[in-house]
Amino acid sequence: MDLSFLTVQVLSALRQAAFLFLISSGLTLVFGVLNILNFAHGALYMLGAYFIYWLTLYLVGPGGFLLALLAAPLGVALIAAVLEMGLLRRIYIQEEIYQLLLTYALVLIIDDLAKIVFGPEFKSVPKPDFVSGSVTLFGGTVPVYTLLVVVLAPAVAALLWYLLYKTKTGKVVRATSSDREMADALGINMSALFTLVFAFGAILAGLGGALAGPVRTVFPGVGTEVIIECFVVVVIGGLGNLWGALIGSILIGALETIGIIVFPEFEMALIYLLMVAVLVVRPWGLFGRPLKIKALSEKNLEMEAQEISPVHFSVHPAVRWAPLLLLLLVPLVAGRFYQYLLTQIFVASLMAIAFNLLLGMTGLLSFGQAAFFGVGAYAVGLLVTKAGFGTLPALLLSPAVAAAAAAVIGFFCVRLSGVHFAMLTLAFGQLIYAVVFKWYGFTGGDNGIQGIPVKPIAVAGLAGIDIGSTKEMYYFVLVVVGLSVEILRRIRSSPFGATLKSIRENGQRASYLGVNVKLYQWTAFVVAGAFTGLAGGLYALMEKSISPEIIHWTKSAEPVLMTIIGGIYTFVGPAVGAVVYIILNSYLVAWTEKWALVLGLVLLTLVLLLPGGVVGFVNEKARQIFGKLRCIRRWSFSKSTTS
Amino acid sequence: MPLLDLNSINTFYGRSHILFDVSLSVEKGEVVSLIGRNGAGKSTTFRSIIGLTPPQSGEARFKGELLRGLRAYQICRRGIGFVPEDRRCFPDLTVRENLEVAERREKEVAHPWTVERIYALFPRLQEREKNLGSQLSGGEQQMLTIARTLMTNPEVLLLDEPSEGLAPLVVALLADLIGEIRKEGVTVLLAEQNLHFCAKVSDRGYVIDKGSVKYEGTMADLLSNEEVKEKYLAV
Ligand SMILES: Nc1ncnc2c1ncn2[C@@H]1O[C@H](COP(=O)(O)OP(=O)(O)O)[C@@H](O)[C@H]1O
Ligand SMILES: [Mg+2]
Repeated sequence: MDLSFLTVQVLSALRQAAFLFLISSGLTLVFGVLNILNFAHGALYMLGAYFIYWLTLYLVGPGGFLLALLAAPLGVALIAAVLEMGLLRRIYIQEEIYQLLLTYALVLIIDDLAKIVFGPEFKSVPKPDFVSGSVTLFGGTVPVYTLLVVVLAPAVAALLWYLLYKTKTGKVVRATSSDREMADALGINMSALFTLVFAFGAILAGLGGALAGPVRTVFPGVGTEVIIECFVVVVIGGLGNLWGALIGSILIGALETIGIIVFPEFEMALIYLLMVAVLVVRPWGLFGRPLKIKALSEKNLEMEAQEISPVHFSVHPAVRWAPLLLLLLVPLVAGRFYQYLLTQIFVASLMAIAFNLLLGMTGLLSFGQAAFFGVGAYAVGLLVTKAGFGTLPALLLSPAVAAAAAAVIGFFCVRLSGVHFAMLTLAFGQLIYAVVFKWYGFTGGDNGIQGIPVKPIAVAGLAGIDIGSTKEMYYFVLVVVGLSVEILRRIRSSPFGATLKSIRENGQRASYLGVNVKLYQWTAFVVAGAFTGLAGGLYALMEKSISPEIIHWTKSAEPVLMTIIGGIYTFVGPAVGAVVYIILNSYLVAWTEKWALVLGLVLLTLVLLLPGGVVGFVNEKARQIFGKLRCIRRWSFSKSTTS
Repeated sequence: MPLLDLNSINTFYGRSHILFDVSLSVEKGEVVSLIGRNGAGKSTTFRSIIGLTPPQSGEARFKGELLRGLRAYQICRRGIGFVPEDRRCFPDLTVRENLEVAERREKEVAHPWTVERIYALFPRLQEREKNLGSQLSGGEQQMLTIARTLMTNPEVLLLDEPSEGLAPLVVALLADLIGEIRKEGVTVLLAEQNLHFCAKVSDRGYVIDKGSVKYEGTMADLLSNEEVKEKYLAV
């Protein structure tokens, strides 16, 4: 290896690290003060890139470029300040998940708006002449722009250091990030500070985007790639820790550069592997500290109260089975389109209900369920196509394989809680995604597996039942999902389910009472993983082809969204959410390209107005109405006895 | 008109009712004690006053003005200083920085606290100026949290169990310090479990138990009232 090669590679690693640091420093700063992991930080990066694209159409020459480089981040900051004051501010007292979801809704909305305003195509910003050349350093050719980026990032780091350690506002920011309540009681206006910090974080994201404009392409949705990398950086460094973000950026920048040279196949997997390795050894990241458990806010208590005193419609079992009967009759009246739609809904419901065993029951937000869905789907795909398994044996193995994966992943994840848990599940999920995506020899890489044959199912030596057609598949999926949901329902009302609930309500109290909290959480994780894997297996049979897309983290967001839409504290909530989600999806996609925008707005409305979800809302209304009825009945009863 | 006046406040954490019709008042220049066992509701009373856990009913007035609807930072800026229990100094900030972040300039004050004035009162803090909050001893941390709240120029200081867990020598120092603070013109409401400490520094006291005030009177009367001591303060 000669010096020129080394120079070029080191500078390329540094450039990557510089971009990562610019963006993730903002992310970690915002987390440190507001305690919100901002999914929309990547979208703000994207806006920065679009803004410089747009500004440089009018501002030309070196001066124009520099002016645009300054103005773009300020524009992003302005938008961020409006978002913080108009939306985020309303949900600070709620649980983490609602904050995460609100920022996720913003991602969907901003991405689609960018598509509307700037068009769906890739844009690139022309490099101005004064930075478009290259220089020779130690015999290697290095673009001037790389040097600009590599010099600018440390300058920003120094500026950050100055602001945080030498100005009063900076000191206040540091104080607030370690004890928000105390800062409040010392006369510091949290609202103003939060807006300021959020806008400042946005400046950093916007600067990263603006600086990246001329060297990376911009397109709607580029933020979802960027944000995951930044999550990795800040989680490795320790959430909320600026120096952690710096070290994390350098590590990831170096690893990506080395990865491209040494393991071009698995460069992507490498960074997730590093993240997993760091979190396994240091659960709170290199420089991080365990987060303090937030005191239960009154909002939380109110929402939990919804479940503590739910309306009991004491349904007769016959009534419970009636929908099933109706569903059995559907194919007699509905065509193939509706049968297919419902089959999709069944699979999604199973995934969402299994997911809610974690979120609603145990209080664990997993952001990696797509991994188990994918493992189940690939298990069926590979067993059928490569090992010649029959349909049923392959399907029955899919939950087992997924459970095995969940057992290993869960072992590491349940040591963490809250956002850290979510991030580690996400990292494992992306690790599996990255491997499946590139392992052409085994998984087919990004081609996936096409044409999975669905062989007739042999039942007790009788003639095989063919489930190849839409209608037969409908019945088959209905039966499998129906049985699984019944099992999950029984788990929920079992003593095991009751223990999970007590863990969610107060993990500390449960552990004082002698409950092995981690063991229960792990078991719940494995059970959820198994049923998610089964849903994946069914998906593989019903679609007859699979691709790594089903493992990508954006797929992991789906059960989260469905559960929130339907309602987190009820058993049927996630299924209702799945119905809404799939129907919205299939109709909106046909009707408009702006499906993400609509979904984002729906999510935003739910988070802000109906945090109990659709079913929670119905329950609440029902309780009000039933409550009134009961009053009237009691009143008329007492009247009749006195007369 | 009392400087600080609570009139029948009721405070909840979620659904649990913690304070029941708590009333108390503090005149300018006094040192008043709020005495009660662990879990009696002393900290909740303070959190109600400062607005961290606002009461659901009843009135809290400061200089005659209602505090209802104000946020903690606004109440602080009006002149109520809160020194929490368990010494929450900012661990990653140096001693000096801990003081600096609390310096308030919104309000015109005749004789505002400055870092220098604080150092005159707490020479030990000056010696440890460059140390981080997390590097201090328990007594030093207690001094720092008090000093830090003084930097906000409070007219009344809510001191929550300052003597807890400190060595007798440091507790004696603390008692002197409360006297000094009073001489500087700051009114003090002191929450304590330690009756003798209260007797040393205050003239008047309230006894709180299970979220309601059971007794009020001068410290001398309280010290000689065996029944109250037995019933509400015995460990
Ligand atoms: N965050 C909280 N949530 C629910 N209950 C609380 C909380 N903090 C304190 N309590 C309860 O309120 C009561 C009064 O507590 P506190 O005011 O801290 O008492 P003290 O300061 O006198 O020791 C206790 O019974 C305690 O368990
Ligand atoms: Mg207390």
